[in-house]
Amino acid sequence: MAFPHRPDAPELPDFSMLKRLARDQLIYLLEQLPGKKDLFIEADLMSPLDRIANVSILKQHEVDKLYKVENKPALSSSEQLCFLVRPRIKNMRYIASLVNADKMAGRTRKYKVIFSPQKFYACEMVLEEEGVYGDVSCDEWAFSLLPLDVDLLSMELPEFFRDYFLEGDQRWINTLAQALHLLSTLYGPFPNCYGIGRCAKMSYELWKRLEEEEDGETKGRRPEIGQIFLLDRDVDFVTALCSQVVYEGLVDDTFRIKCGSVDFGPEVTSSDKSLKVLLNAEDKVFNEIRNEHFSNVFSFLSQKARNLQAQYDRRRGMDIKQMKNFVSQELKGLKQEHRLLSLHIGACESIMKKKTKQDFQELIKTEHALLEGFNIRESTSYIEEHIDRQVSPIESLRLMCLLSITENGLIPKDYRSLKTQYLQSYGPEHLLTFSNLRRAGLLTEQAPGDTLTAVESKVSKLVTDKAAGKITDAFSSLAKRSNFRAISKKLNLIPRVDGEYDLKVPRDMAYVFSGAYVPLSCRIIEQVLERRGWQGLDEVVRLLNCSELAFTDMTKDDKASSESLRLILVVFLGGCTFSEISALRFLGREKGYRFIFLTTAVTNSARLMEAMSEVKA
Amino acid sequence: MDCYTANWNPLGDSAFYRKYELYSMDWDLKEELRDCLVAAAPYGGPIALLRNPWRKEKPASARPVLEIYSASGVPLASLLWKSGPVVSLGWSAEEELLCVQEDGVVLVYGLHGDFRRHFSMGNEVLQNRVLDARIFHTEFGSGVAILTGAHRFTLSANVGDLKLRRMPEVPGLQSAPSCWTTVCQDRVAHILLAVGPDLYLLDHAACSAVTPPGLAPGVSSFLQMAVSFTYRHLALFTDTGYIWMGTASLKKESQKADEYLREIQELGQLPQAVQQCIEAAGHEHWPDMQKSLLRAASFGKCFLDRFPPDSFVRMCQDLRVLNAVRDYHIGIPLTYSQYKQLTIQVLLDRLVLRRLYPLAIQICEYLRLPEVQGVSRILAHWACYKVQQKDVSDEDVARAINQKLGDTPGVSYSDIAARAYGCGRTELAIKLLEYEPRSGEQVPLLLKMKRSKLALSKAIESGDTDLVFTVLLHLKNELNRGDFFMTLRNQPMALSLYRQFCKHQELETLKDLYNQDDNHQELGSFHIRASYAAEERIEGRVAALQTAADAFYKAKNEFAAKATEDQMRLLRLQRRLEDELGGRFLDLSLHDTVTTLILSGQNKRAEQLARDFRIPDKRLWWLKLTALADLEDWEELEKFSKSKKSPIGYLPFVEICMKQHNKYEAKKYASRVGPEQKVKALLLVGDVAQAADVAIEHRNEAEMSLVLSHCTGATDGATADKIQRARAQAQKK
Repeated sequence: MAFPHRPDAPELPDFSMLKRLARDQLIYLLEQLPGKKDLFIEADLMSPLDRIANVSILKQHEVDKLYKVENKPALSSSEQLCFLVRPRIKNMRYIASLVNADKMAGRTRKYKVIFSPQKFYACEMVLEEEGVYGDVSCDEWAFSLLPLDVDLLSMELPEFFRDYFLEGDQRWINTLAQALHLLSTLYGPFPNCYGIGRCAKMSYELWKRLEEEEDGETKGRRPEIGQIFLLDRDVDFVTALCSQVVYEGLVDDTFRIKCGSVDFGPEVTSSDKSLKVLLNAEDKVFNEIRNEHFSNVFSFLSQKARNLQAQYDRRRGMDIKQMKNFVSQELKGLKQEHRLLSLHIGACESIMKKKTKQDFQELIKTEHALLEGFNIRESTSYIEEHIDRQVSPIESLRLMCLLSITENGLIPKDYRSLKTQYLQSYGPEHLLTFSNLRRAGLLTEQAPGDTLTAVESKVSKLVTDKAAGKITDAFSSLAKRSNFRAISKKLNLIPRVDGEYDLKVPRDMAYVFSGAYVPLSCRIIEQVLERRGWQGLDEVVRLLNCSELAFTDMTKDDKASSESLRLILVVFLGGCTFSEISALRFLGREKGYRFIFLTTAVTNSARLMEAMSEVKA
Repeated sequence: MDCYTANWNPLGDSAFYRKYELYSMDWDLKEELRDCLVAAAPYGGPIALLRNPWRKEKPASARPVLEIYSASGVPLASLLWKSGPVVSLGWSAEEELLCVQEDGVVLVYGLHGDFRRHFSMGNEVLQNRVLDARIFHTEFGSGVAILTGAHRFTLSANVGDLKLRRMPEVPGLQSAPSCWTTVCQDRVAHILLAVGPDLYLLDHAACSAVTPPGLAPGVSSFLQMAVSFTYRHLALFTDTGYIWMGTASLKKESQKADEYLREIQELGQLPQAVQQCIEAAGHEHWPDMQKSLLRAASFGKCFLDRFPPDSFVRMCQDLRVLNAVRDYHIGIPLTYSQYKQLTIQVLLDRLVLRRLYPLAIQICEYLRLPEVQGVSRILAHWACYKVQQKDVSDEDVARAINQKLGDTPGVSYSDIAARAYGCGRTELAIKLLEYEPRSGEQVPLLLKMKRSKLALSKAIESGDTDLVFTVLLHLKNELNRGDFFMTLRNQPMALSLYRQFCKHQELETLKDLYNQDDNHQELGSFHIRASYAAEERIEGRVAALQTAADAFYKAKNEFAAKATEDQMRLLRLQRRLEDELGGRFLDLSLHDTVTTLILSGQNKRAEQLARDFRIPDKRLWWLKLTALADLEDWEELEKFSKSKKSPIGYLPFVEICMKQHNKYEAKKYASRVGPEQKVKALLLVGDVAQAADVAIEHRNEAEMSLVLSHCTGATDGATADKIQRARAQAQKK
């Protein structure tokens, strides 16, 4: 249990510096508006802010009252209003309406807008159009990297996924490049870089340009992190669409981990109160089970409980001195452990109640069948029944997407009938959802005979037609061919199992999906690191539709120590799942690497589907 | 040592002065200097001459010539004066020549005689004409002071930031003062003037009489006055032949005695002597003298243990620079103190201004200045000059510049291009921009040059979406809508960006964009969205949906079109249901609409709806089963289950009844479950024993293990044994 790291595993850099930087900058910005002020915070920024500066720090810097940014008139009576928001147009309109209401009432106050992580020109323009640009002062809080854990940095930008992969909006790429630039100024240059995907490539190029412009800052510094790997989420949708069965992933799927913490409801805490729990390496109990397959967790926890009891029991037969020692030194730790243990046992029970039913087993069985590509008809009927029974709109959608990607699109008959059923069950507005999913390549129709070359020739015809605008559409439909089956074969993603897969002593990364499937994203990373590049992976890259988009960049004069080379930063553009993190942590232990994760946000199948769903306004 | 001080003349008790000739000016003056307006710039700057044809005693003849020379008399520029009569000339701190005309207009020329700009000293000056003018220098820049024909003063303390100030009247002033000057005190410019035996100080508020302390009596008039460059010292020349010297702050009653002569404390203080030798070398003009003094310092240094070498080294460097610029060909005779005050950066600027690029670069390299402050900056200036050479072709200029500059750090090609554009050479500017490695830097100039489409491509290349957006707004204002949309069409990245903006801020534009593109699919989606967001009334929503359906047909998306039409039908129907039955139906899904009908006992209507919308049997069965179980209408459920053979089998009946905790009903259906799912059904109702029997009967291994896994109760022991026995038996066979 809780595999220890190899003794030669490199130390992780200290990322708490990022928090201090963010805090100092925020305080500086708050002090730019001297005197008492009320702070309006966008809901999405509340949890990240909480991890950086708590209320008492804000109060120290003369923040009087805190409000949530929501579409309601402000009740604040303060003379100074400060808004801490994401650069979104709807926020601008909210602020403008507030300022304009004040103007109508003949009231003058000071307004300051702090954009995080950066401001966009479009936002300022909206302020101008609404006639309040001169009344507000704008600032940027360049807080783009939140260390959620010792090895996990999150940009907390879930909208990155929809904005880029659905809307084709590239504005966050600059933010990402700035974040990478910050990392290289703080932790030295990255001598070896790999990446795959259009967004990865653009971000990488922009980042390199930033480094060139500020030449010399990182020059001559010894690299702390020897390798970096950038990966677009659309290179591997499959992994993100699977049900998670390692503990941390399962907790995320069940209770939703938000910004590194989870709200355990009364059914977990076995009291009448909910409890907010921080889930990270500091939680000793959690740290031992987070990467475990769920089937092992319960027995581990009960063993742990017995051990704990035994330690308590040692009290009997102690003399006074020993007892004094016990109380002063061990008891607190034991009590803390006891508290955590009972929480996680509660969480396990709650998960078991939900997940060990027949339904969940069937669901997992269907997922495995889809991954392996057998009994497609049966799986399709299962999905249909799932829809007919209105089990869950998000789950139904997820299964449809999984079927589509693993099968290179649905056959036309299924494509129509599943969609019809879905609309009947969950409402006609999802017609828009389907349009989104098609655009993102998540749910498509098999075009019979439409081979890769056929599409390519179509594209070249379009070029001669000079209908350049349509080329992108053609290209994206080209990219939609997932070729999952062929990739799976090439990369051996479905392990051959002789007998039972031992989930207690996993032999490969497939354990995160009960031994049925090695996450594609993690396999790609493993292969590239092993080969130190993309050599021999040409066919895979082509199947991934990334022929021009897989890159390697190795610095020639290699100042990197062998230790730093085993420290690898993996950047997920569009989000990564806890299952992927667990799988790579496992790989790290096997190979003596240590992975650091940078993600635009932690995601899971439900979040992906929600990002694509259209909800009635 | 005598010879060194031979030309030192005593001045008072404690100071000496000397005069020496810097250059023998070999300029070829056509006029007597006294017939000219002359202005020599401070700090070894240039000299301007303008033959004065407007003097009364000499009638105006041909147009005069304005000539500019270096301090060593090397001609820099010569031009025919075509404007009005000039009263006074002067140089600004930036080495710009200010020519004050009689009408109060000041014309500004560069060192090379290039006209820069002009400004007026105001209406009052225009009406009363300029009698006299002074150019003066303050810490803020260079100023102009005017004495008008009405004997009033007007001044501007900084010609770079023109603010005119009319000074108060001097009481009883009937004629021009005998002499006057500007004085700066406490950052404010004043005017000191002499009228007969009286001196007046004018500030912006008042005119006050002042008396120089200790002035010899009998003065009836002041002939000249002069202020030191720092405004700390003043000299007055009286008609009695005296020169009075004192501090310019005349309010003070006593003149402070000079104190610089101090007794040398100890003779033979070598470090001090060495230091003084070094400093003295700095103040010597002639290289031979400098050398002697430095040699002496160097010699003395040998006898000292710890004399820090840097002052010596620095002095040697400074002197090399000074001697280089003092050279006759360069003609900037700076003193050491002036040089230190000016700083090397400003000196380099002045060399650049004189187009002495090679010398400037040599100095940078010699002093090892960082490239960005030094060589790069000078090269960039050179390039900016180069683009102004109109006789050289665009290609040649661009190539020459690129050859010399290459990728020198700190050189901004976009700045050079901006200069080229400023000279009207747009094509050259575009060529130069090509060398600019940061595409973002190219954008502002391209926009200025109205090359907005190129700017758009460059902005996209830069990856900076804000820049793209800026260009888009430019384009939007510059082009008509059709062209603007067409441009967007060719730039997908910009298009997505703009679409995103429109989605939130300009919905109508978004629609137009799709229309322009004949993107009927997105147009359809747009109208669907509108039917949810924008429209309140049912008629409006249906109309929006109809538009959407039409668009989907055009997009050949029959599926979406049909689905949209179904939605229209459903909406109308839901509306009718709400009217007839009350309750809430609008915006429910079809499934939920039927369920709601069943739950409210409207079975017939439910059936009708299911038929109308062709709800598949399977769905309908699931739906009814769930709804009836929710109602706990077991009787109706049983009737329904017997209405025909269930398309979903009977296991769902068992499941749903168990979910409602009705084991009794569940068991009824368990008996009807087909053999394949029998075991599951029996297990669901908790009949482990019978499940075991069926599994054994089926000889199905999977089923047997499933049952075994359910054998958890205390009474299941026998059942488990039974299965184990059956298994063993099966294996024997």
